[in-house]
Amino acid sequence: MLPADCSRRLVAELQGALDACAQRQLQLEQSLRVCRRLLQAWEPTGTWALKPPPGPETNEEDPLPACTPSPQDLKELEFLTQALEKAVRVRRGITKAGERDKAPSLKSRSIVTSPGTTASAPPQSRGQAGQAAGHASDTRPTKGLRQTAVPAKGHAERRLLSVGDRTRVGMGARAPRPGAGLRDQQMAPSAAPQAPEAFTLKEKGHLLRLPAAFRKAASQNSSLWAQLGSTQTSDSMDATAAKTQFLQNMQTASGVPQPRLSAAEVEAEAGRLRKACSLLRLRMREELSAAPMDWMQEYRCLLTLEGLQAMVGQCLHRLQELRAAVVVQPPRPCPVEGPPRASPSCGGGAEPAWSPQLLVYSSTQELQTLAALQLRVAMLDQQIHLEKVLLEEEVGVQQRSAALRTRG
Amino acid sequence: MGRRRQRVDPAAGARAGALPEAIAALSRSLPSGPSPEIFRRAKFDRPEATSALWQLLFRVLSPLPVGNALASLALEAQAHLVKSALCSQGYPRLALAQLPEDGSQGSRELLLALSWLLARGPVPEQMLAQARVPLGDEMTVCQCEALASPGPPAPHMEAEGPVDVRRVQWLMGKLQFRWRQLVSSQQEQCALLSKIHLYTRGCHSDQSLGHLSVTEAEMLRDPEGGQQASGAGVAQNLDPAYPKCLHSSCTPGMGPRTFWNDLWLVCEQPGLLPGDAAPLDPGGASACSLLSPLRALLQTLERENQRLEAVLAWRHTELVFWRWMDTVLGTCAPEVPAAASQPTFLPWVPERGGGELELVVRELQALEEELREAVERRRAAWEAKAGGCGRGPEWSAARRASREAVEKELGALQQCWKQDSGPARPHGPHRLVRREDGAAGERDLRAAEVIRTLRSQEACLEAVLRRLQGQCRQELARLVGALPGLIWIPPPGR
Repeated sequence: MLPADCSRRLVAELQGALDACAQRQLQLEQSLRVCRRLLQAWEPTGTWALKPPPGPETNEEDPLPACTPSPQDLKELEFLTQALEKAVRVRRGITKAGERDKAPSLKSRSIVTSPGTTASAPPQSRGQAGQAAGHASDTRPTKGLRQTAVPAKGHAERRLLSVGDRTRVGMGARAPRPGAGLRDQQMAPSAAPQAPEAFTLKEKGHLLRLPAAFRKAASQNSSLWAQLGSTQTSDSMDATAAKTQFLQNMQTASGVPQPRLSAAEVEAEAGRLRKACSLLRLRMREELSAAPMDWMQEYRCLLTLEGLQAMVGQCLHRLQELRAAVVVQPPRPCPVEGPPRASPSCGGGAEPAWSPQLLVYSSTQELQTLAALQLRVAMLDQQIHLEKVLLEEEVGVQQRSAALRTRG
Repeated sequence: MGRRRQRVDPAAGARAGALPEAIAALSRSLPSGPSPEIFRRAKFDRPEATSALWQLLFRVLSPLPVGNALASLALEAQAHLVKSALCSQGYPRLALAQLPEDGSQGSRELLLALSWLLARGPVPEQMLAQARVPLGDEMTVCQCEALASPGPPAPHMEAEGPVDVRRVQWLMGKLQFRWRQLVSSQQEQCALLSKIHLYTRGCHSDQSLGHLSVTEAEMLRDPEGGQQASGAGVAQNLDPAYPKCLHSSCTPGMGPRTFWNDLWLVCEQPGLLPGDAAPLDPGGASACSLLSPLRALLQTLERENQRLEAVLAWRHTELVFWRWMDTVLGTCAPEVPAAASQPTFLPWVPERGGGELELVVRELQALEEELREAVERRRAAWEAKAGGCGRGPEWSAARRASREAVEKELGALQQCWKQDSGPARPHGPHRLVRREDGAAGERDLRAAEVIRTLRSQEACLEAVLRRLQGQCRQELARLVGALPGLIWIPPPGR
């Protein structure tokens, strides 16, 4: 049986660690769900079907509504363009190898048109660009477009083309083609291989586009953070001096010349001295294990050991000072720490960089190794913490029993 | 008020308009910052400014973003926590601890406290960084976050009395099992992440990123948030908090902010946009906003941009503010350092024993013993050998050279723990980016390097752990000897 007081804290700490792990696990699982869903086929959401551009199916003469494009519409149109271009390529039987090369060039073309133009202009120019890329005669691409459009009409899964279908009706009306009806059922079997397929990230992921409003906000965001980072490093000297002056004034106004040691500082100092202890011990081991070649080396070894001894003495002295200070003002229970306390393996309170930095990896393997190591370090940190708790408790029990014995 | 570049001329520090601008920028840069009028009233110690300042201090001092639940704590509770937090940070003025907690007076003291915090650290930036919703898949390299706030006192209170060691062993086994589970889930998550990054490469408008993150892809997949998860039977509402929990789940590590995280997830939501709410089942987190992920992200981004601009404006104009605060301080009577009463504190986090110091003392004392023995031995051996040597000048010169060399070495060693900030270790979350060639800018981290660092850290920690375990066993042996009647059956190795 463990002594009662020793065990309570240990069990509480263990429970805390278990809860933390469970919480972590829950979050991971939630995130896993999201990722898995992303990698499956994307189902068309209800809102897509509910939001057709107004009035294309009723009046084929009408051009696309020249309203100010919302990010939604622009995204749909971009999807549409890429679908059209891809359909053209497929129609011409371009191989898959070529497709990868095409993709960046197609995208660059679609980026060229700024989102600021009205809704009617982009599809027109893009559509034509797409058609021009095909280098085909007028009728063939149109037919190909319509042919790919028609079977998709019935398939709700084919979100790209289903949307494109509604908007294309307007486009088809504008294009000066001989008016072949949309109900043309000449389906080249090879022309519509992708139609029944759903949208998967694997195949179509590189075609995605972020909405324009989001892009704008995100780029503004990152540039503002970068500005903040640069002003941080080059802080105005005057402001810093003014702040220091103010702090000093506060200190002297309160009548206490020296700032009191806060619990956080005591802990930080204790951490530093612990680090000192391990470094000194390491050094001592090195010296003791080295075999001196000559008398000079032996002398140096001796001097080093004596120096180490002196330093240990200094550290102990500092600790006694801290202890005394802590006794005079009882250590507060540290309700709230200001900046987060640095973990022992972290080694210091470096200022966090404001703008997010990147962590670049090159393969799945690397990422997995990285994550595994991260967890291992965290686990070791936790184990060390638990061992320390156990040790503290044991020491406490010893002290208490020793006190009892001396008293009794 | 737009952002304007101000050349703050020291001579014209009292220029009319500079101070209100500075204060306005400050209040815009803080979350739910009080109006500039509050600041002005506080200078004159008006009572109506008091409660707003208590609440602001509460938000600034709490370790995590404050949600609705926390913000709705009674003013007295908030004031109490603020006092204890300031105390633990070493706030010098005693008048604050003596303020009544009902918000009836003391606004000038609170203004001074706020300025004290602002002078000590980059508070607006820190709060912004805290509340930031990450757009990318983030990973935290260092462990700072993990130990930031250990959470509330454990709700399971063990019964009084001795605890069977088998229970402790069982708990430890359970913990190990959970860690293993965590590791395997994490590995799967990494594989999926990597795939998503691979498949969406070439998409991102920002060339340096190159591919979408999960947050962005999810937003594209389901911008309106109206989709229900299939098969689960539970409405999987994509509430705007999910990027945050995605963030914390992507960051491996302990993340013990259980209680606070829950609160945040439930409470910290952007407001409802009128007429925009998609019909969602509110059976989930009841305080969840009904915004679509796209709109929510956009709104959060825009608000963050506004606050960033405010912070930049504040940094440009803050000199005037500090001059003004000096005058505010001047209007207060100087304090006499009487023995202040120690108010009892509501523990916001579980009490940490003062055992840390004791442990270090013991370690150092043990080390001292070892060194003393070693030095005695070596000194005796040396005297015996070198006693017969000559005392020529070259000998003493050699000795002096040795002494200097050793001093320099040990001085360098001392620097290793003396200096506060270690090497420029990047802190905070990093956005994961996949690149085939692994090229990275100068401020970016490479996975290979991080792996190396982590491996050496791992080795270091393993050594520390082994030593601690040895110490534990020693202490236990001593315990067994000291307490008669105690029989200790050591667990069969760890």
